[in-house]
Amino acid sequence: MTRGEIRNLLKGLAFLSPWLIGFGVFMFLPIVLSMYYSLCDYNLLQSPAFIGAENYRALIHDGIFWKSLRVTLLYAAISLPAGLVVSLGVAVLLNVSVRGQAIFRTIIFVPSLVPTIAAAMLWRWMFNQRLGLINRALEPLLELLHKSGPPWLAQSAWVIPSLALMSLWSVGNTVIIYLAGLQDVPRELYEAAELDGAGKRQQLWHVTIPMISPVIFFNLVMAIIGILQVFDTPFMMTHGGPNRASYFYTFYLYDSAFTYLKMGYASAMAWIQLLLVLVLTGIAFGTSKRWVYYQGK
Amino acid sequence: MKRISRFILGVMAVGALCVLIFGPRPEPAVPPDRERDVVIHYWEKWLGPEYEAIQQVVDDFNDSVGREKHIYVELMSMSDIDQKTLVATAGGVPPDVAGLWDPMVVQFGSLGALVPLEDLAKAHHITAADYKPVYWNASHWAGHLYALPSTPAAVALFYNRRIFQENAAKLRSAGLDPDRPPQTIDELDRYSDVLTVYVTDAHGNRHVQRVGYLPMPPEWDWYVTSMPLWFGAEEWDARGRRFTLTDPGVIRAFEWMERFPRKLGVATVSEFFTSQGGFNTAQNSFMLGTQVMELQGPWMANYIHHDNPSMDHDWAVAPFPTAVPGLKNVTYCPFDTLMIPRGCKHIPEAFEFIAYVNRQDVMEKLCMLHCKNSPLSKVSWNFLHHHPNPYIGVFEELASSPNAHMTMQCPIAQEAGGELTAIVQGVLALEVDPKPALAAAQVRLQARYEEFEKALNRRMRAAN
Repeated sequence: MTRGEIRNLLKGLAFLSPWLIGFGVFMFLPIVLSMYYSLCDYNLLQSPAFIGAENYRALIHDGIFWKSLRVTLLYAAISLPAGLVVSLGVAVLLNVSVRGQAIFRTIIFVPSLVPTIAAAMLWRWMFNQRLGLINRALEPLLELLHKSGPPWLAQSAWVIPSLALMSLWSVGNTVIIYLAGLQDVPRELYEAAELDGAGKRQQLWHVTIPMISPVIFFNLVMAIIGILQVFDTPFMMTHGGPNRASYFYTFYLYDSAFTYLKMGYASAMAWIQLLLVLVLTGIAFGTSKRWVYYQGK
Repeated sequence: MKRISRFILGVMAVGALCVLIFGPRPEPAVPPDRERDVVIHYWEKWLGPEYEAIQQVVDDFNDSVGREKHIYVELMSMSDIDQKTLVATAGGVPPDVAGLWDPMVVQFGSLGALVPLEDLAKAHHITAADYKPVYWNASHWAGHLYALPSTPAAVALFYNRRIFQENAAKLRSAGLDPDRPPQTIDELDRYSDVLTVYVTDAHGNRHVQRVGYLPMPPEWDWYVTSMPLWFGAEEWDARGRRFTLTDPGVIRAFEWMERFPRKLGVATVSEFFTSQGGFNTAQNSFMLGTQVMELQGPWMANYIHHDNPSMDHDWAVAPFPTAVPGLKNVTYCPFDTLMIPRGCKHIPEAFEFIAYVNRQDVMEKLCMLHCKNSPLSKVSWNFLHHHPNPYIGVFEELASSPNAHMTMQCPIAQEAGGELTAIVQGVLALEVDPKPALAAAQVRLQARYEEFEKALNRRMRAAN
């Protein structure tokens, strides 16, 4: 390295230093410490006492841990594909050039600006079995079937589908990313497909989806990470109930750390969560070669 | 290029320097004439009118005892105060006074997070005789006084007298007296059945329009998990250090709660719960008149007066009925506490303020502003006759009763609360059979408690 290069490197590091120090102190160090704490009995106020893999062993025998994991994975199994399909569908519709396009785009995006607490209050009412907007809207259909409206938040069987349904309310951000991807698809590909006699559905399947597959992949990875950390909505809407049917993994982690003051136990949970995220995103990356198409590759 | 980048760098450096020198400064919290006083940082959980009431007391202190003894209390309101206090204590920068809740006496006390106050209390001539036993006892853990009460509570049955009178004939024909509230759980059920009104909608479906009595929504965990007290049972045996969830009284209490969704339907119960924005809002079903009886604390008078003043003369209060013959004046007494976290740098001055709040005149002022009963054994004529809750005498009597109960004195009470709340949720959704659920919770919680004791012993051995 020449003296000039060293000087440039030092300058670069100096400019980076606020971020580097911030990352080191507030991210890297806590991550490393949490690994150590996961092997300790630690309640924040007393020095951590090393207990080996005891926390991990206890987690294996903890019924609530398994229940919260099942709840989270069930939610992910419903919400993740539903979110991807709905947001892609909405983006495709919003990409069609019609009068008032900007207004429709705004309408779809606005809910994602609503604070979670306000949305939670609103949806609590919407899910009310008798007075709620959803069951009111379903009334004609339910009458035909001689059924009453589902007890959305009141029964274990319904609570996760309800929360997954609610998650579709804030697809605005994902829709924007899809829209950007859709507008990047070269027009000439559609023209060529049209000349080959492809209809709109075939164009969507054979042109649009392959061309935006990197965007779908990006949204999939972000959704996996986000969904495994769901906390605020069930915390405010259902308090984990009924009967822990919406007691998500992160909710239990939060309770273990800040309500029960079992920081070591919560750290072990956090590491398992990270492992889970890594495995699932690893699967997504592993399969991506088969279905993600990058232009120019 | 080099010049331009140097110029930009220079401008940025000058800008940063200007912000440092001339930028915004926090407003001085301490008045200039009190700068030499010892400043006590007091963290409180309350917001709104309750916070303003505490601010009044703090101002009074600063203008009287504080001025005389050169102590200045700075009040700060915050959310998640228990977690923030804990983190600040662990970090060695705790507040001098923390306004927390009674379960933290045991939880924080068992972790060594609090300063024992017995010697300071003695020096200020504060003794057990000054307090109602339930609050004094609940301020202790493992032989140490870890807190003194700020505003306390006792819970009782609120009932709508107007609806009782409007349905006098129906109540009489059911063999019930419309001029008095129910006195046993069996009577409460019978009153509730008579006062519950069903309507049939256009499609022929039957709905509950008004309910006689309904337990509080499970998210207000302490209302529902304390229910066994009225069945003559407790969920924790402090002496034997054992959970007692399989006690017949506990099981009966949970089975009693199960009767509501069975009778009214899960949908109705859930509908009442989801329609409520919180018991302290105008959406509360008791305030709306869609619920005739409710288990509540004295503060409800303030909320009714504020949110539905037209109801001011409609309601009354009585001890909550019990399921055990001869068992009377049963109540549950949660309370707000004032504690000194470990690491506090001004312990005597902090306690000076706590002792001031616990003076009879100051405590009565604060409790009247918060619309609560007093934790002190003596109350003045003025307190009883000018309190915003006209039934404060009922709460005073309940809190002084030998059947007044404190929060379970168990270091894992928070965990137990979570477990019991989950059971209540399941019971009210008719998804859980109380007896086996309580038996399973008994095994789980007892094992958790034993783990806690094991860890405590390990830490003590390591410390020695």
